[in-house]
Amino acid sequence: MPRKVNYGVDYDDDYEDDYNDDYDYDYDEEVEENGITAKTMPAKEVRSAKVWRCPICTYDNEDSMSACDICGILRNPLVKSNIQINDVAAPFKFNVPSPDDLVSSGLQSLKMKSKDNQRDTNIPVELELSAKDQESTSASVTRQRGNGVNEKDYAPTSGSIPGMPHRNVNTEAMSSKTGKVEKTIERKTASISDFTPETWMIPETVDGELSQLNLAIVGHVDSGKSTLSGRLLHLSGRISQKLMHKYEKEAKQQGKGSFAYAWALDESAEERERGITMTVGVAFFTSKKYHIVLLDSPGHRDFVPNMISGATQADAAILVVDASMGSFEAGIDATGGQTREHAQLIRSFGVDQIIVLVNKMDVVGYSKERFDFVKQKLGTFLRTCGFKESSISWVPASVMENQNLVANSSDSRLSWYRGPFLMDAIDSLQLPARDYSKPLQIPICDVKSQSQSQVSACGKLETGAIRPGLKVLVMPSKEITTVRSLERDSQPCSIARAGDNVTVNLQGIEGNRVTAGSVICHPDYPVQVACQLEMKILVLEISTPIVIGSQLEFHIHHAKEAAKIVKILSLLDPKAGKVTKKSPRCLLSKQNAMVEVALQGPVCVEEYSSCRALGRVFLRASGRTIGLGVVTQIIKTEN
Amino acid sequence: MKIVRRDLTRNGPGSVKMIPEEADDLWIAYNLIVAGDSVMAVTVRKVMREAASGGRDAERVKLKLEINVESVEYDKEGAVLRIRGKNCLENEHVKIGAFHTLEIDVNRAFVLRKDIWDSLALDVIHQASDPNASADLAVVLMQEGLCHILLIGKSITITRARIETSIPRKHGPAVAGYDKALTKFFENILLAFLKHVDFNVVRCAVIASPGFTKDQFHKHLMLEAERRQLRSVIENKSRIILVHTTSGYKHSLREVLDAPNVMNMIKDTKAAQEVRGLKDFFSMLSNDPERACYGPKHVEVAHERMAIQTLLITDELFRSSDVATRKKYVNLVDSIKASGGTVHIFSSMHVSGEQLAQLTGIAAILRFPLPDLDDIEM
Repeated sequence: MPRKVNYGVDYDDDYEDDYNDDYDYDYDEEVEENGITAKTMPAKEVRSAKVWRCPICTYDNEDSMSACDICGILRNPLVKSNIQINDVAAPFKFNVPSPDDLVSSGLQSLKMKSKDNQRDTNIPVELELSAKDQESTSASVTRQRGNGVNEKDYAPTSGSIPGMPHRNVNTEAMSSKTGKVEKTIERKTASISDFTPETWMIPETVDGELSQLNLAIVGHVDSGKSTLSGRLLHLSGRISQKLMHKYEKEAKQQGKGSFAYAWALDESAEERERGITMTVGVAFFTSKKYHIVLLDSPGHRDFVPNMISGATQADAAILVVDASMGSFEAGIDATGGQTREHAQLIRSFGVDQIIVLVNKMDVVGYSKERFDFVKQKLGTFLRTCGFKESSISWVPASVMENQNLVANSSDSRLSWYRGPFLMDAIDSLQLPARDYSKPLQIPICDVKSQSQSQVSACGKLETGAIRPGLKVLVMPSKEITTVRSLERDSQPCSIARAGDNVTVNLQGIEGNRVTAGSVICHPDYPVQVACQLEMKILVLEISTPIVIGSQLEFHIHHAKEAAKIVKILSLLDPKAGKVTKKSPRCLLSKQNAMVEVALQGPVCVEEYSSCRALGRVFLRASGRTIGLGVVTQIIKTEN
Repeated sequence: MKIVRRDLTRNGPGSVKMIPEEADDLWIAYNLIVAGDSVMAVTVRKVMREAASGGRDAERVKLKLEINVESVEYDKEGAVLRIRGKNCLENEHVKIGAFHTLEIDVNRAFVLRKDIWDSLALDVIHQASDPNASADLAVVLMQEGLCHILLIGKSITITRARIETSIPRKHGPAVAGYDKALTKFFENILLAFLKHVDFNVVRCAVIASPGFTKDQFHKHLMLEAERRQLRSVIENKSRIILVHTTSGYKHSLREVLDAPNVMNMIKDTKAAQEVRGLKDFFSMLSNDPERACYGPKHVEVAHERMAIQTLLITDELFRSSDVATRKKYVNLVDSIKASGGTVHIFSSMHVSGEQLAQLTGIAAILRFPLPDLDDIEM
């Protein structure tokens, strides 16, 4: 699983390293044990779990719930469903842990869940199923409320739960409360470990069916990103010759003949007139191995927030560099080059695979020296960002002359290059692990209001799966709505799973309740909303130090908000993560610190340990990215 | 602010009669009046009267009251000052010692009597009566989907309007939706602009945004002005400036004030000076952190060593009800001025003042580095 690769010196890594170190040894065997023993459970479990229909709101609740999820009405014949499931669960009933132990184990469960993420999809499923029994036996006793707010330090959990007689029970109890326990707003809390992914959610690995890869195209302004995207779409057959001719004609009319290919992505009048990309252009095409979603990002300084919004969805990236004299130097310039900023941002999104396309080689005559120069300079920089040598591919090409893109170069001047052409390099990318078995979460990147009470929202599924007819919850406006239909690549589709980029048509919700930055999630497992949170940040190169009261822009997945530093808690040692100084006066470049930030409005966040995509934060001020961070704790949910 | 009558001795008791003319002046009055002073003004009071039949009759009577101030409140949006205190003047309707709240708004005269008119208060009065140097800048700070309309006055910055919409992306079949949403957004901003920006009062209007939103809006503004014959906009076309900022959030206001073409317009005003002062402080903090300090304790220590060259302080600290603290700060300001340093008093209603307030409200740039300040607890 590519995502498990040890990253290197990066703030991102420290985080994961912590987890890896603490839990690798202890948890391993126990998980296996449970996995095996739990295997017999699934079949019986699923069969006996029935649903009952609430008389008031007609919502189908699970059998184990004694009150309706939506309206809170108690189930009329208050059936102790426990008993029934108890029978089925008989082989697993060890000494039932007391409520106190459940709660205290739950407080540690956060770490367990992070381990879960890195496991195979099978084992968490089984664990969760076994946990469900455990849960239901004590369903009436405690509904876990421990969550990140009570987060303790990351300590190995195995031996620390008091009063656990049997080691097996110990882990059983811990695993039963495994995972992030969400604090529901108006509804009952449900432990994430309860979540049983339905069969349609886990994809069968069908040979021959292409999986989806989200590819972001980033780079300095005017390096050729949109043109590259247009070319790829044209060469893969997505854009017909006729349409291409139309673009060329129109572009020449406006005096922008060279932008003909870029016009395939830049569709608005503003973008075409100015010859730049302003928002992320999404396009679909197919290669030999993958369904590729192209996210063509703007390269202009002012539009970096849009680029952040687009690149959130990326699994891998193509960094386009202009090889011509002067342009490359401008891009990699420390003070303002977007090549630099984009590379840093991409890396902090967790993308570890990058293809560097050295474009406009025709301008420099396909010279090997220039290519090597670019490779060497940019290579050092990328390594400092945290990219591994092995996950960077270097491809020289010329988009205008269609050299080395979909076939080996025909130009003799490029004969010194022996590596793969671009499409091959794309095909050699590895897909990151997808979280199919976690509850649904879609951060919304774009919203269109179709008509009264009908809205379409697009985004990439981070976890879980969705299909038409499901009831979903939109946070932070807390509205329940139904999925009318799904669309992928302008074609209706029946199921979308983690990693897919889809447009969800929602029914029964007002246009102003859903905005870019909202998150669609499972009604039982709502995403947390925060107005004040604690984060661990890495400060980039800054000109003015960060002090208490500094006002910044807070970017997370597709949401952005004005924010203020409320407290600077401590300085951290970059290598070990230990606190070096408490309450420093200010933060300077390249320091790691824990800070507390207050937001102007509520934003959907999750702690980084439970969901990566919803826990990554970018702090910007005065037009530059000044900090990268991860959410460690949510302090206040309402203003 | 019109000063009608002045009758005071330096560092001694006295009274001043003044009439606030605009919202700014009310802010100045807010800073002047502290608990313990007395204010006299014409006000309306509901008075209970016993009618012949025995029933009680409530009547609203206009009378002149003098009250001993206990607390002062400033309502930013309504531009009114509320002074609460006990009556101290003999009056046929109101007993001495009865509580009353005086509401002072624009164009209502009042007399302020103080026990000690210190240098700070005198400074404020002097500044208030200064007819020129009113910043009066209208700023339309926007980004795609979000817009703030702000009025920057002499000492206060008011947010007049905040418009937020969600604008869909412009790709695929929904390109038309983008245009429509954007036009509607601009229309809303235009309406708010016309309502709040009065070119008679304001020196110039600034439209600021990252990217090209400002150009788009400017174009829309001009087109609509032509179409609808909006004379105020057409006549003042030259007074509309376009400035580039990095975001549409309120803290980008600093960048607006920093821009060279705006800076020329408001060079001599308080707002610009404040922004410059704060910028100097931050640059000092990053270049030579030992020559900059903030927090009351650090500043005091630095002052003892005669190290302060420039003091940055918010007026909020002077508004404290504790006489001793106020006196302490006044003394601090006086002694720094006496030793040749400069003092910038930041209005906490301006963006830079807000930021300084976040930083504990008091900061200083030192003459020479003091490395051991770091060891002292803040």
